[in-house]
This record gives sequence, structure tokens and C-alpha cells, in this order.
Amino acid sequence: MSILNKFLPNVMPIWDQVWQATLETLYMTFFSAIIAGILGLIVGILLVVYDQGGIMPHPAVYSILDKIVNIFRSIPFVILLAVIYPLTRLLVHTTIGNTAALVPLVVGTIPFYARQVQNALVQVDGGIIEAAQAMGASNIDIIFRVYLREGLPDLIRVSVLTLISLIGLTAMAGAVGAGGLGNLAVSIGYQRFQNDVTFVAMIIILIMVFIVQGVGDWLTRLTTHV
Amino acid sequence: MATIIDLKDITVTFKNKASTVHAVQDVSLQVEAGDTYGIVGYSGAGKSTLVRVINYLQKPTSGTAIVNGQALGKLDKDQLRVARRKIGMIFQHFNLMNSRTIAGNIEYPLRYSKLTKAGRAKKVQELLALVGLSDKADAYPAQLSGGQKQRVGIARALANDPEILLCDEATSALDPKTTGEIIDLLKRLNQQLHITIVFITHEMSAVKSLCNHVAVMEAGKIVERGALLDIFSNPQQALTRDFINTATQLDTALAEVRKQPAVINLPANARLVHLSYTGASTDQPLIAGLYQQYGITANILYGNIEFLQDVPVGNLIVILTGDTTKLPTAFSQLRDQGVTVTLLDPKGDAVD
Ligand SMILES: Nc1ncnc2c1ncn2[C@@H]1O[C@H](COP(=O)(O)OP(=O)(O)OP(=O)(O)O)[C@@H](O)[C@H]1O
Ligand SMILES: [Mg+2]
Repeated sequence: MSILNKFLPNVMPIWDQVWQATLETLYMTFFSAIIAGILGLIVGILLVVYDQGGIMPHPAVYSILDKIVNIFRSIPFVILLAVIYPLTRLLVHTTIGNTAALVPLVVGTIPFYARQVQNALVQVDGGIIEAAQAMGASNIDIIFRVYLREGLPDLIRVSVLTLISLIGLTAMAGAVGAGGLGNLAVSIGYQRFQNDVTFVAMIIILIMVFIVQGVGDWLTRLTTHV
Repeated sequence: MATIIDLKDITVTFKNKASTVHAVQDVSLQVEAGDTYGIVGYSGAGKSTLVRVINYLQKPTSGTAIVNGQALGKLDKDQLRVARRKIGMIFQHFNLMNSRTIAGNIEYPLRYSKLTKAGRAKKVQELLALVGLSDKADAYPAQLSGGQKQRVGIARALANDPEILLCDEATSALDPKTTGEIIDLLKRLNQQLHITIVFITHEMSAVKSLCNHVAVMEAGKIVERGALLDIFSNPQQALTRDFINTATQLDTALAEVRKQPAVINLPANARLVHLSYTGASTDQPLIAGLYQQYGITANILYGNIEFLQDVPVGNLIVILTGDTTKLPTAFSQLRDQGVTVTLLDPKGDAVD
């Protein structure tokens, strides 16, 4: 205990606050991952099936989706946080706090994840899709039983990537009004020059990233049959 | 026999901003139920496009496709999907799902059947046994050789007991021995199940050992077609002869023959000749007859006899030496006996 007190003099008195911040970061990551995951997956699938070589080619719809995704991907997250205020107020009736942070996190993550999903699914061999069509599979079948299943290892890989980038975004959201480890690091560690607090926040975030990465690698191995 | 595939005036045109490709142009094709029909052609001839019209993976720009008694163009999406279950297809690169086991791959098309779970498992076992892969049920495609993968492809294609099996370059990624094994399997399926086989390839040798009928495609058109034996013994088009000579290895033989001193220094009273004959004419003592009647001697430089559908087909490259005034008479007598006589240029590189 005395060693901890010596090296982490400012952290020791506020452990409960650190723990609280960790939970907040997990909360923001988890819920925005779920919502953005589902919506991003849908948009990603639509991009694949409506594409020129897809199973329901539709150039007009594709090009609109494609442009929207590109535009939203180009907005830096810090700016998105500011721009999106009115929408946030509309949806959750407040603009500060962890729940309010979900809105920009979700909006920022959907286009990123959609593009990742698209890139993962177009890797599925067109010949396999053609074989399924030749067997009389419906488009819904092909999406769920061929694309998502054959593309699963790649989907897991890009989901891990997205999740890690999302953890990063929660930290940034924390810096501008939401809670979590980002807020802890900035408002206490940085502004009060308590470097040990910043350090601990960083370590906890790194641990989260390593766990996500480890679980992802394990799942990828489990679903790859080569 | 009934016509099971009836393509009428099929045209497929691919248009994009930059170019227009006439992949298939006004092709009509009838295939009898239970037949084995080969379609040969070089890359880009339009073979895949044509065969994909048969299960409407490719909707033709114009023309009608009547398959299994149904005009495919008149079916709605759901009817078309049902119709496709009676038209199996196998591919050059097998197109198996990597995420599923062998049994899983074969079971996939069965989810559209009315079988119970137990019934499906039984069917998968039967199909595995049919293609000789019972021990691989739980393996994944990545663990199989090319020939084994194609067997899985065949089992999968047969899952819903189709009337027709479309094979698009099904042996082109395989070595010659494995190709032979797959051809034998297809032959057996054709005989046992009476399934109609359409076999697309650029290798005439595969067609030779499998098919009863053959069509030759070039630039989107069928340039020649007929019974295998007729095509082999009496090809009309240069392209067809090309494919046949590759298949019978006559072209490589001829290249060797032309290097022989006897050919390089061919005397004025000698001719380099290609004799080919089928069936009955092989019973006649051709060479002996030439000597007895015309005093013409034959020096055989290359000879090959093979059996197409149990009919012997012979190919000889010979130097005929004798009285040059008698040679034309001798040739026409050979032709009367059903022998195709082709004078070869000792120096040229074409067989013609
Ligand atoms: N979807 C497509 N869009 C545009 N052009 C196409 C398309 N599919 C085929 N083609 C063109 O149509 C022509 C015939 O192609 P096809 O694949 O039918 O030839 P093939 O005889 O099967 O050749 P290969 O032996 O290489 O498989 C080619 O010129 C090809 O480029
Ligand atoms: Mg092809």
C-alpha cells in the first residue's frame, strides 16, 4: 500500500472515481457499439448487395449510400461532437453526460463500421455467391447464410478494429462533456497536473483494448477453417 | 428422346459505358434428356455466358430458354429459384463454402427440400458415398485436394436430384489423372441417374471421353456441332480440327514427324499424308491394299488408334512412295472406303 501511495499519490484517494469513470467508458463503448454495430452492419450489407456486382445491383441507391458514408467519414470526430448538438438534444433531451455522448459516438461509428463491413463482405468469393444462386438460394438466404457466414472471420476482424477505435472516441467525447476515463484524464490528470491519474486512465484503456483484441483473435481463429 | 434443354436464338449482349460485348449471338441449342453434350471453345468464346443462360443466372438479351419444360423467361423470381433446384451446376474453382464442413456444404441446398433433419443427414451420407468421400464428412474444404473438392461440388449439385448437371470448366483446374477420375464419375452419374450433362471446356480431350454430342463455339456463335464421332472423323471447321488435333495429340506428333530426315528430304515421288478413319474402315487392310493394287509403299511415321464411344478412330501419318500418276487414284479409293486423306505440307506447320 505504501508503494502505491508513493507512486500514485493522487489516484489512491479517488479510486472510487476511477472505477466510476471506467464503468462510464464501458457504458458508452458498449451501447454505442451495439447500436452502431447493428446500423453499420445493415448499411454495410446494403452497400454490398446494391453494388454493381452485388446480388441486387442498384446504381442510384448505391451511389447515394456511398456518398453519405463518405461524407460522414470525412468529418473529424471533435467537430462532429459540436455539429451534432441539436440532434443530441432532440434525441436524449440533454447534451452533456454519457448518454448524450452516445449520439455522436453512434453517428461517428456507423459510417466507419459500414465501410469496414463492406470491405469484409466483398472479400467473399463471387463464385460462392453464384453457386448459391444456382442452387436456388434467395437473396435473404445469400446475405445471412453465405455473406455473413463466409465473411465471419473478416467481420470479426473489422469489428475489433471498430471497437478499438470506438474506445478511443469515448475518451475524446469524455474530454468535451461526457464522463469516463477520457474525462478523468483531462479534467483531473491534465488540468491539475496529476500525471499519475492520466497514467492510470491510459493503462485501463490499454487493458480494455488488449482484451478486445485478444477475444477477437480467439474468435477469428475459431471461425477460420484453413 | 425428349428435348430437355431448348435454347432458341439466344443473344447476350453486355453493354457498359465504354464498350459493347456480344458474348453470345443468336445461338440455338437443343439437348436431349440423358445426353452428354460438350461445348468447346477458346477463352472468351461465350461458353460460360451460354451455359449460365440454361439456369438463367444470365438473363439473355433476347431469345427463349425452355428447360425441363419451362420457359425460364416467363417464371417469376420464386418460380425461377424452384426451377434452379432441378438444374445442378459445378464450377472450375469448385466454389465451396469455406465456413462449412463437407457435409454442411452438401446439406446447404437441401434446406429447400421437404426432407426432415434426419432425412437430410441420410441424403448427405448417400451423396457422400456416391462420390466416394464418406470419410470426409467432417473435413473442411481447405483440407481437400482439387479433385476431392470437385467431388463435393458434384455431390452438392446433385442434392435436389436435378435432371440436368451444368459443368463450367469443371476439370480445367485439375491435373490429367484427376480430370480422368472426375470424367469417369460424371459418366457413371449419367449412366446410373440418367442425368443430362452439359460440359463446357476448352479441352477437347475431356469432351472426347465424356460426351455424345459436341458443339464448337467461337466469338459467341456455335460454328459446328454434331455427334462426337462425326465431328471427330469429319470436322468441317479449321477451329474444330484445331481442337481435335490437340486432343489426339496429332499436332505434337506432326511437329515431331516434320523433324525426321525422311520428311525433310522427301523425294519427288513421295507424299506426306494424314489418314484418319473410323469404325468399319479400320477392319480393312489399308496399307497392304495400297501396295497390292498400286505398288505404293507406306512408311508409317505416327499411328494412333483410340476408342470414342467404343468405336475405333485411327490416325496415321505416313509417307506414301510410288508412281505419282497412280497416287490420285489410290487416294480416291481410300476416300471411297471412308478414309479421310489429307495431304500434308512437309514443311508447313498446319495440319491442313
Ligand atoms: N458480366 C459481364 N460483363 C461484361 N462482359 C462480360 C460479362 N461476362 C462475360 N463478358 C464478356 O463476354 C465474353 C464471353 O465471356 P465468357 O465468360 O462467356 O467466355 P468463356 O467462353 O466462358 O471464356 P473462358 O474460357 O475464359 O471462361 C467475353 O468477352 C467476356 O469478357
Ligand atoms: Mg468461362
